[in-house]
Parts: sequence; C-alpha cells; structure tokens
Amino acid sequence: MEKTANPTTKQTLIGTRVKKPDAPDKATGKTRYINDMVLPQMLIGKVLFAGRPHARIVRIDTTAAQALPGVHAVLTGQDATGLKFGFSRDNVALKDKVRCEHDEIAAVAAETEEIALRALALIEVEYEDLPGVFTPEAGAREDAPLIHDNFPGNKSLHFEFEHGDLAEAEAASDIIVDNVFRPHHVTHCCMGTSCAIADFDHNGKLTIWTQTQYPYNYKMDLAPALGINPGDIRVIQPPVGGAFGSKLDVYPYEPIAALLAKKTGRPVKVIYSREEEFKASPTRQAAIIHMRTGCTRDGVLTFRSADVLLDNGAYTSWGPTIPVIMMRTVSGHYRVPVVDFKAQAIYTNNPYAGSFRGYGNVQTTWATAQQMDMLADLVDMDPLAFHLKNAQRSGEVTPQKSFLRECALVECLEAAASASDYSRKRTEYAALRDAPGRYKKGIGLASSVHNAGGAKIHKSDGIGTILKMDDYARVTVITGASEIGQGIDAVITLIVAEELGVPLEHVTIVNNDSDVAPWDVGVHASRTTFIAGNGTRRAAQKAKAQILNAAERMLGEPTETLDLRGGQVVFERDGTPLIQLERLLRQMHFKAEPELVMVTDYYEPKSEPEGARHISDHSAAYSHAVHIAEITVDTLTGEITVDKVTAAQDVGRVINRMGLEGQVEGGLAIGLGYALSENMQIDKGMLKNACFRDYKLITAPEMPPLDLHFIESNCAEGPYGAKGISELPTIVIAPAIANALYNATGVRIFNPPMSPETVARAIHERRAQTNAGKVATPAEGLAV
Amino acid sequence: MSETMEAITTYLAPRRLDEALQAMADGDATVFCGGTDLAPQTESGARPYKSRLLNINRIEGLGGIAADGGEIRIGATTTVAEIRRSAALAEIAPVLVEAAEHFASEQIRNAASLGGNLCNASPAGDMSPPLLVLGASVELACWRDGAAHTRRVPLEQFFVGPGKSVKRPEELLTAVVFARPAPGFVGRFRKSGPRPALEISTVSVALGARVADGRLSEVRVAMGSVAPTPLRARHVEAALEGQPLDATTIAAAVAAAAEDAQPIDDVRASAWYRSHLVKVFVEEVLDDVRGN
Repeated sequence: MEKTANPTTKQTLIGTRVKKPDAPDKATGKTRYINDMVLPQMLIGKVLFAGRPHARIVRIDTTAAQALPGVHAVLTGQDATGLKFGFSRDNVALKDKVRCEHDEIAAVAAETEEIALRALALIEVEYEDLPGVFTPEAGAREDAPLIHDNFPGNKSLHFEFEHGDLAEAEAASDIIVDNVFRPHHVTHCCMGTSCAIADFDHNGKLTIWTQTQYPYNYKMDLAPALGINPGDIRVIQPPVGGAFGSKLDVYPYEPIAALLAKKTGRPVKVIYSREEEFKASPTRQAAIIHMRTGCTRDGVLTFRSADVLLDNGAYTSWGPTIPVIMMRTVSGHYRVPVVDFKAQAIYTNNPYAGSFRGYGNVQTTWATAQQMDMLADLVDMDPLAFHLKNAQRSGEVTPQKSFLRECALVECLEAAASASDYSRKRTEYAALRDAPGRYKKGIGLASSVHNAGGAKIHKSDGIGTILKMDDYARVTVITGASEIGQGIDAVITLIVAEELGVPLEHVTIVNNDSDVAPWDVGVHASRTTFIAGNGTRRAAQKAKAQILNAAERMLGEPTETLDLRGGQVVFERDGTPLIQLERLLRQMHFKAEPELVMVTDYYEPKSEPEGARHISDHSAAYSHAVHIAEITVDTLTGEITVDKVTAAQDVGRVINRMGLEGQVEGGLAIGLGYALSENMQIDKGMLKNACFRDYKLITAPEMPPLDLHFIESNCAEGPYGAKGISELPTIVIAPAIANALYNATGVRIFNPPMSPETVARAIHERRAQTNAGKVATPAEGLAV
Repeated sequence: MSETMEAITTYLAPRRLDEALQAMADGDATVFCGGTDLAPQTESGARPYKSRLLNINRIEGLGGIAADGGEIRIGATTTVAEIRRSAALAEIAPVLVEAAEHFASEQIRNAASLGGNLCNASPAGDMSPPLLVLGASVELACWRDGAAHTRRVPLEQFFVGPGKSVKRPEELLTAVVFARPAPGFVGRFRKSGPRPALEISTVSVALGARVADGRLSEVRVAMGSVAPTPLRARHVEAALEGQPLDATTIAAAVAAAAEDAQPIDDVRASAWYRSHLVKVFVEEVLDDVRGN
C-alpha cells in the first residue's frame, strides 16, 4: 500500500480511492488461499456422489475401499452420525436415500487425492431408482412421488403478505398486466472451489478452516450435523476466492470433513474439483412468478400481486427463504397501494439453492421492472415519466413498513435518464423497430429497491469490534466482519485512518478467527459497510476520546480544541502539532497510573426483527438503483451486444470510491451473465453443463462501457451517511436489458437468460405472427 | 492428478520424425502437442492415455508455415496463434487467419496446434471449415517395414464422426497442404456462439470461390457443428456454381443450406437454431462477397 502521510490540515479520507490492503498479494500470487493450505499429517477427503436424482440405496459395500493401502477412513450414511441439519432439518452429511444428483453417499479420507479417488471407485453401491420430481408443479401434484417422508405434498416453506383490498383495486384498474416469469438456475462460479479443513483436538474441540461468510451462526448450524456443542467449534477463515452468498450456510462437505477428521484423528481437507463445484455447490433459486400489476389510465399504480412457486430442490438451504426479500420488492418497488403476495416452495429432485447476491430480488425485479415498462407502454407514457409518477419520496413508508427515510429514487431516475438521453433515444428506437435492417438499437430502463442497512432476519443484526493501539501508534481492529473479497478491509482501514489520523498502512485487521473476533451475523444483505463501518467508527471514536482526554491532562489543552491528524495530536483549529501520537501513547502506557488504548464496541442497528407477519422496518436503511441499458440486437442471430450501461445508485455517501466502483462493476458482471448467458441446464435432475466450456460467464471483452453515478442521500443512520450497495447492481441490469430488447424489437422475454437462441426464436415468432396479421401485445406476452 | 496418468509407462520427446514414428508404430502411443483438447479429455476420463506419451513439439521440421511455392504447407505443430500472426497467410488465405482470430482465447491459441485441432475431429473444430474451402489435404506418416511412409488424404475425407478420423493409431498427422488459391479467390468465415470470447462454435460457415464477372466458380462451402463431422455443403455449392451472384442465387443457396445441415439438439443450441443460423450465415457471407 502506498504511503499516505496525513497532513495535519483537516482533509477527509471519506470518498477517496483506497486500495484493498490485500490487493498486492492477490495480484502477485502471494496470497495463500484455503485451497492452497496444507497442514502436517493432513489427509484428503473425497466424496462419492450419487449421480442419479432419486433412488433407494439397496446395498453399499466399502470393503475393498477400506482395504486399499493409504485409506484411513470410509464413511457412509450407515456409519456416519446421521444427524439432521439445515433450515428444515432435512439434510444430513451422508445420505441413506438419494434425493438429488449430488447427494453425498460415501466419503473417504486417504493419504493422497489419488488414493482417495481410487478408493471411491472401489465402493460398490446398488441403487433402486425411483420416479423423480423435476418441476415444482409436478411436485405439488397429489400423486407426486414423496421426496422426504416427513414433508407431505413435498411442501417446503410458505410465505404470505397481504395489504389492502385486492378485488377493489383490480376493479379500480384501467389496465392490468398479467404474466408468468420463470427465472432460471444459475450458480456462483467462485474462482476458489468449495473447501474445508477440519481437525479435532483431544478435548473434542473442532477447528474448521472454511470459506464461510457467517462464522458465528455457522457454528450454530454446523454443530447439529456433528452432535457437538457450537461452543466447541473454532472457525478460521483463510483468504477465499469468492463467496457471493454461496458460503452463507453449512453444506455437506463441511460436516463430512469434520466426521472424517473425527474418525481418523488427523486433519482432513475436502476440496471440490470444478465439476463437483458446478454440481454440488448451491444455485440461485429458480422460481415461477405469476405477477399481475394494475394502473389507472393516467399511470398511477393500483395494485401488484405475485403468486410464486419455488423449485426448492432436494433440501432446504437459503434458497426457499428468499420470499422474505421478494415480497419487499413486490410491495415496495414504487408506490403500490394494494399488495398480495404468496410463495410456496416445493421439494424436487433438482439441485438446491442457497443465497446468491440479490437474494430473491433478482427474480422479482426481473418481473416488476418489466411490468412497469409494459404498463407505461400500454398507457402510452414515457417509462421515465411513469416511474417518476409512482416513485416514493423521502419519508414514505411501504405497506410492509419499510421506512424510506432518505429516498433518492427520483434523483437516480433523473441522473440516469439525463446522462443516457433516455427519452429521446427510446422514442427514436421504437419508431425504427419495424423498419428494414438487421441490427436494431434499444434502450431500457429498470430500477429496484433493496435493504441497505442490514436486514434483521436473525435475532441480532449487530457486530462486535475491539480496537487496540500499541506503543507505536499502530492500530489493530479485531472485528466480526468477514472479508470475502468485497472490500470491508479497505473500508475499516479508511475509517480508522479518518478517525485516528494514522496512516492507512498502520492499521491491521484481525477478522478470521471465531475464537478471537467478536460476533457478527455475517457478510450478507449488503450490510457489512453499513454495520461494520458503524462499529469501526464508534470504536475508533471511543479510542480517540480516550487519547484526547489523556492529551488534555498532559498538555493542559481542552479536548474540544484538539484533534488527531497525520500521526500527531494537533490543534483542531489550525492543525498546529502538539505531540507525536505514538509518544503520547507511550506516555499514557508508562506513566504512574498506566492506561492502554483498548476499546470495545457492540453496534446493533436500529431496525426491527422481520417477524412472522413481515410487517416491520427490517433494515436500518433502504437504497434504490436505476440502470439504463443501451443495446444492439442482431435480429437474425439473436445476439445482444450491450453497448453501454448507465447506472445511478443511491449510496448514501461514498466511503471508498474504488471499492464502490469495484462492487458495482462486479455486481453488473454477475447480473449481465444472469441476463444473457449463464444457465444451469438441468435435465431430469442432472446438470448437463458442469464446466466453463458450456456454462457461460461474462468475460472481460463482453463488459460494456459503464457510466456510474453515485447519488449521496446522506443516510442518518449510516457511517458518514453511507448505505449498503453491493446487491443492487446484480439485481437491476437484467430487466433493463429486457426492456431495451422490447424497445429495439417489440419482443418480451419472460424466461431468462436472453441467450441468442432465445432472442432469435422470439423475434422469428413475432415476425411470423406479424406476417399472419396478429401481433401479440406485451401484456399477453410471447411464448418463448 | 488423474488416475489415467498411471497408464503411462513411457514419456518420449524425440527430435526426429522417424524416432516419433517408430515410437508409435504399434499404435500404443498418445500424441501430445498443445494439450488443449487432450488434457481436459484425459482429466475427465473421456479418453484414456495409452502406455506411451509422445510429445511431438521438439520434432524438427514439424512446425512452421511454408508459403513460397504453389503449394502451401503448414506443419502439424504450428500453433493457432502462429497462423493468426502469419503475414504470408494473411496474404494468401485470409479466411484461415480469420478463423484463427475467432479461435478460443489468447492462451489457448498460443498452445493449440493445427494438427491437434484437426486430429481432435470435433464437428465444431474452427480450423476445419476454412481448410475445407481451401481444398486442403493432410499428410499422415507412419513407420512400416523399416521406413517412413506418407499418404495424403483430402480433408473432406479425413473426418468420419465426432472425434473420429481415418488416421490410424500408428499414423501421425505431419502437415496440412493446399494449393495456392488462384487469383480472384475469395474466402469468408463466420461463426457464432452465445458469447464473443472463448467460444465453441454453435455453427460455423466458410465460403471459398473464384469470383469473375459477377459469377462464382470452383465454389466450396463448408459448415461446422451442423453434423457429426465438419462437412462440405454440396447443395449450397451446386446452387452457386457458375451462377451470377444475385439475390435469386443467394436465396437458392440459403434454401439449399437446409439440405446440407443435419444439426442436433445439445447443450449449446437446438437443431432449430443451428438450422436457422446456417441460413443466416450463408446469406451473410454471400452478401458480403457480393457487396465487395
């Protein structure tokens, strides 16, 4: 990190560009990721996957595998603990029945991976295949095969929220759009594949090195799978190659590593190959969303209803819980007076979903933002005007009681529309839609709202922070905030440097050991800058007060006249240096009544628990983003080229500008892949494209030019006014492109991704219908 | 890493061709050059290693582009990157350079060899359609009765199925040769996939023909990913041969494309989309030639 000599004149770091402290090590290959770790005496664990979607295990014989030299343990569902874990206690480390392709049937610990793989090949399993359930509709049928004996009707989680009189609102609507959207399965594609290393000591305490992004509740969730007390688990988080929500739960490879370690008395590492990662790591929740939205002739929204069927997959992780956020979009994305939301998750024999950046909002915004565009078209309004007419302003409260204290939706709409010349281009492109020519240009606007100050879905959304200073004015922050690449390390460093006037490179963060760092609920819900930023700032301010009080006693100057800048105690008014900070700290430490700067803070945001009725101000802040996509469509091949994205986002206040840009750009890359190319092709429960050759991420050449606008609404509760921002960029881009596609071609896509084939087929069908003299209205939609 | 690696008992990296041919004379050698297809196939278990791993990269005279005479010769170990950068090929056969431009990624182009791309015999192999329209042949060498023997096989007879060619296990593909295109020769290549970079062709189409007085002659059209092998599109060729390049001829060629392409549904595209794209690309390359 470059040296930053803080001048003693007042100069804030807030809003500047600060590099991630670990960037040089990562860029030069010095970082040792968990995947690189080797412990003395460590064994390698490998898992035998079922490779079929639904079956009874008739016989399993591990004799030959056990006898192979170098094999230390072979476990199956019969001799593993068989203890249930997971949200619905429906999962187990090693299975006694097959419910999905990647069900873990047996596990081996051996001296080397080669031996472990050979041992897997020696395990004989006889299966009796069972009829499967591969769509939620099929799973909900009365005669559907039962996946879990104790979940009748294959029913998993159910959610409801109602507000107002739906029948009355429908009657008052001049126009209603009614569509079914089918957001698809995608997966996180972390560069570092899933990995865990487990080791027991002789007191029965488990140390687990893992990629988890929620170390404290992780202990609570892992313990039941092992039958031990959560207090007997120490979680260590080495550097990870991405998480994006995929490490927000316990997945079977983790208890498997621990069970193998227990059995062998040695450290055991389980690490997935890329193919295993594709098959056995969680997905984004696939859903079938039947959405209806109404408005009056003059463009005022009257109601929105959503009936959602979720493909639960074989087990319940975070995926089927996303309606908690889906319903906030349905009820809070623009001023919706009447809301009706229902969601039912149905067990299937498909891969199961975890949480994934955007958490339900990706799926619902895909629907709401397209229906906003359709309604604007049907009432013959510029979508920008339609959005502005229905946009909330600061101080409004949504039907679920989300309090939009500082709301910058209007500012975001105006900034993005003006920067992209939206209204003029939209009219121009729409007029050329049916003109001759192979290539069509389109522009599309979409927006969304997301929690930006945590989300109190656990009993606590808080964070503990310990801040200490040594005799050389070096600061160590011991924090619950995990670093999974999102850049909280840079934010914490920046805030400490801002408050204590020390150079950035004099700040060290300890945040990867649950025995050392205090509680945090985890990296999720776009919360960490907001929550850990507040915690860090409060701890730093406590330290600063202690230092200035000591300075007052030693220098005889009142604390309110003093400040910390450039590694010195200075006069607040003009920056005149009074004493070197490190000298003052030594004097404090070594005087007759010694004191050490060593403070703690526990910050709990002012938000309300989600609650069973879902009527609560569950986040301490909310934020909006508006994306405008400009595209060129090859109407023959169906290829969409994204020429430019203009993104305006309410960030509250910029803290680390470089980190913010990185989060928005990275979020857009994930969102673009979801929109255009990523798709898990699952055929009767079996993944057909478990490799990067056939699963298409967005790569650097496809990233469009970005024009980013950060709107600073100055959030009263946020650190320096900041809001959490990381999920919105992933959420908004897909419907912006879908709306641009409509603008360009008159075609609507309801089932992502908007792959060349999907687009070509839709355009082809529209032309066939046009030639036959009937053009589908957007409200009816086109079959794709 | 891979279990199949254990099948390898000998690793050879000869400097002379006859040494290599002798080492594979019993057909029990896996030939390694760039490894970009071989490594994923052996790693996944789709293809086992044979007992001998034969690295042909060091064999003298097996690489390089000889473009001085009437016959152009490209050695088997020539990388796709070398083809892409070749000023001589850009002059003589730009259609081949164009295909090399769209081949996978920079890293893969740097390693992948022309010989390997052909021997892999993928219906989607990007080097095949442009070489088919150049009328290329491959040279296959083997060791028999104490001497090296070489035969030439026209590329259009080389492929027999997905991953299968007429090359025998004891044979090594040593070079690709084609006659220097006559004056007036035009070539075009077009491929498509869901993403611009690092893409396997959903469909590819190449055209090679002489253009004189607005008419096409010696027409060759090739297609990739529409059948079990890269193929010559005989119906399209027939629709074009000797015809004036006008809208009627182009429409006839597009209609004929459906006769030549027999695509399937797979994870990359449906048969419908492939058939649709073939027609789009045939029209596109013909329009392009007509426009210039």
